[in-house]
Amino acid sequence: MSELLAFDQVTAGYGDAVVLDRMSFSLEAGKSLAILGRNGVGKTTLLETLMGHTRVMSGSIRWNGQDITRMPSHRRARSGLGWVPQEREVFPSLTVEENLTVVATPGPWNLKRVYELFPRLQERRSNYGNQLSGGEQQMLAIGRALMTNPKLLLLDEPMEGLAPIIVEELALVVKLLCESEGLASVVVEQHPVLTLSMTHHAIVLERGQVVHAGHSQALAEDTHLLHGLLGVGQRPQPSRPSMDAPAGYTLLPQGA
Amino acid sequence: MGIVIFDGIAYGMLLFLIAVGLSVTMGLMSFVNLAHGAFAMIGGYAAVTAMNQFGLGFFPALVASFVAAALVGGVLEFTLYRRLYRAHPLDQVLLSIGLVFVSVAVFTYFFGPTIQAFSPPESLTGSMSLMGLEVGRYRLFLIVCGFAILAGLLLVLNRTRYGAMVRAAVDNQRVARGTGIHVQRLFFLTFAFGCGLAGLGGALSLGILGLEPSFALKYLIFFLIVVCVGGAGTIIGPFVAALLVGIVDVAGKYYLPELGAFLIYVFMVITLLVRPNGLIPRKGL
Ligand SMILES: Nc1ncnc2c1ncn2[C@@H]1O[C@H](COP(=O)(O)OP(=O)(O)OP(=O)(O)O)[C@@H](O)[C@H]1O
Ligand SMILES: [Mg+2]
Repeated sequence: MSELLAFDQVTAGYGDAVVLDRMSFSLEAGKSLAILGRNGVGKTTLLETLMGHTRVMSGSIRWNGQDITRMPSHRRARSGLGWVPQEREVFPSLTVEENLTVVATPGPWNLKRVYELFPRLQERRSNYGNQLSGGEQQMLAIGRALMTNPKLLLLDEPMEGLAPIIVEELALVVKLLCESEGLASVVVEQHPVLTLSMTHHAIVLERGQVVHAGHSQALAEDTHLLHGLLGVGQRPQPSRPSMDAPAGYTLLPQGA
Repeated sequence: MGIVIFDGIAYGMLLFLIAVGLSVTMGLMSFVNLAHGAFAMIGGYAAVTAMNQFGLGFFPALVASFVAAALVGGVLEFTLYRRLYRAHPLDQVLLSIGLVFVSVAVFTYFFGPTIQAFSPPESLTGSMSLMGLEVGRYRLFLIVCGFAILAGLLLVLNRTRYGAMVRAAVDNQRVARGTGIHVQRLFFLTFAFGCGLAGLGGALSLGILGLEPSFALKYLIFFLIVVCVGGAGTIIGPFVAALLVGIVDVAGKYYLPELGAFLIYVFMVITLLVRPNGLIPRKGL
């Protein structure tokens, strides 16, 4: 049971704004982790911090036996963090194929294997990044991360805005990568049911802190706890954005 | 009429050579580098020195101009520019305009305030007839150079992995870094290369514009117009814009001498009103 990734009391944010507040969690090699939480609790910021795009005020991040708290982003990516950003952010002025080859590093994943995994990308290989559908962009963003031959895949709301059939397909791919390739993932999602079914462990965030950590299956079965943590459970999740007040916001006037 | 367009194109090619580096660095690093013309000036003085002091021929002097400007560009990127990539544009403007004044002073000190003597090689003097037009050989050479460098740049940018990395970093720096692209090194190389091209343009301008220490300020506005009108971050954009600016400027001064100098500003304002992101904005903009 070796530790692959650990946040130790990490406080991070943008400029002077603190978003992650003394956050700690760890992940074993070969295990996938779900990161759950409502809108704006800091899920994306967690991944951005892991990739080195935020300002870390204190604490440390260990990855693969190394302290990477101050490591530049591109070296983190090359050391095996395969990042799939929330808005996909494929490169619009590169073709599908260039989006893949531009980040390629030697290893088991290459163009041929990515095309085997996502045949749709091969069909659209000469299209530019801005000529793709949402689902295709998501496949491309995942394919791009795979081309860096990662040791851990970081998926930020990979299912957001996709048709149900594509959601199932992608969930299958992520599970398959873990089971047959030993490539674990960190999956950020707002919708817990599917995510918990794809992962071994789960943490739930609230206002930049971990408020629950445990096995995914146990959390999935405890609908009461899930409801308490995320405001979901037996009832299906409404598709509109949550109307809850954002984190850190209070309805009482200051000084009341 | 034909000759006005021809001369305008030749002038435009010069503007293109000098400004294309500015377009790429402005698109890539969002750095408002007003000192770009100073690198052209370095190239010009390097070529003059190579020819007059070291007795090199014109063509080896062109190589020297590229190398000198690229070297100085690389050193300044490493020591000064990279500290201000995330700074406010006003800080960038202050730094780079400061560099312009420093360069003006330095070249005045070493070379004096007068225009440098330059005589093009035998093979590029005089004129020749081309499709019924008597055209200057030097200007024809400029046009050939311009097209060759345009083709080379397009090839590198669109067909090589290095080019794809540059485009990726122009598109989205954060994601480029986060997927393993060494953006800082890319900036360094691209900046130095862009300065080298400016230097080459500066050396080539010897036969047309006349080189003196105020060069970096005098033509700055033209380089900026080319980049704004063309669209920062592309190569075709500044190319088209440079040709148009060249033709409009030469034709304006030829046909409407009393208005001519203002015509390109009118041209710029109209183009930017119609196409605020430039003639050829980059994809995804
Ligand atoms: N670039 C930024 N600059 C400043 N503040 C930011 C930035 N990005 C996010 N934030 C703030 O940080 C907090 C956490 O945002 P984050 O995007 O990490 O949440 P999230 O859990 O990913 O939300 P969502 O489910 O909507 O994606 C929010 O209050 C947000 O306003
Ligand atoms: Mg998010």
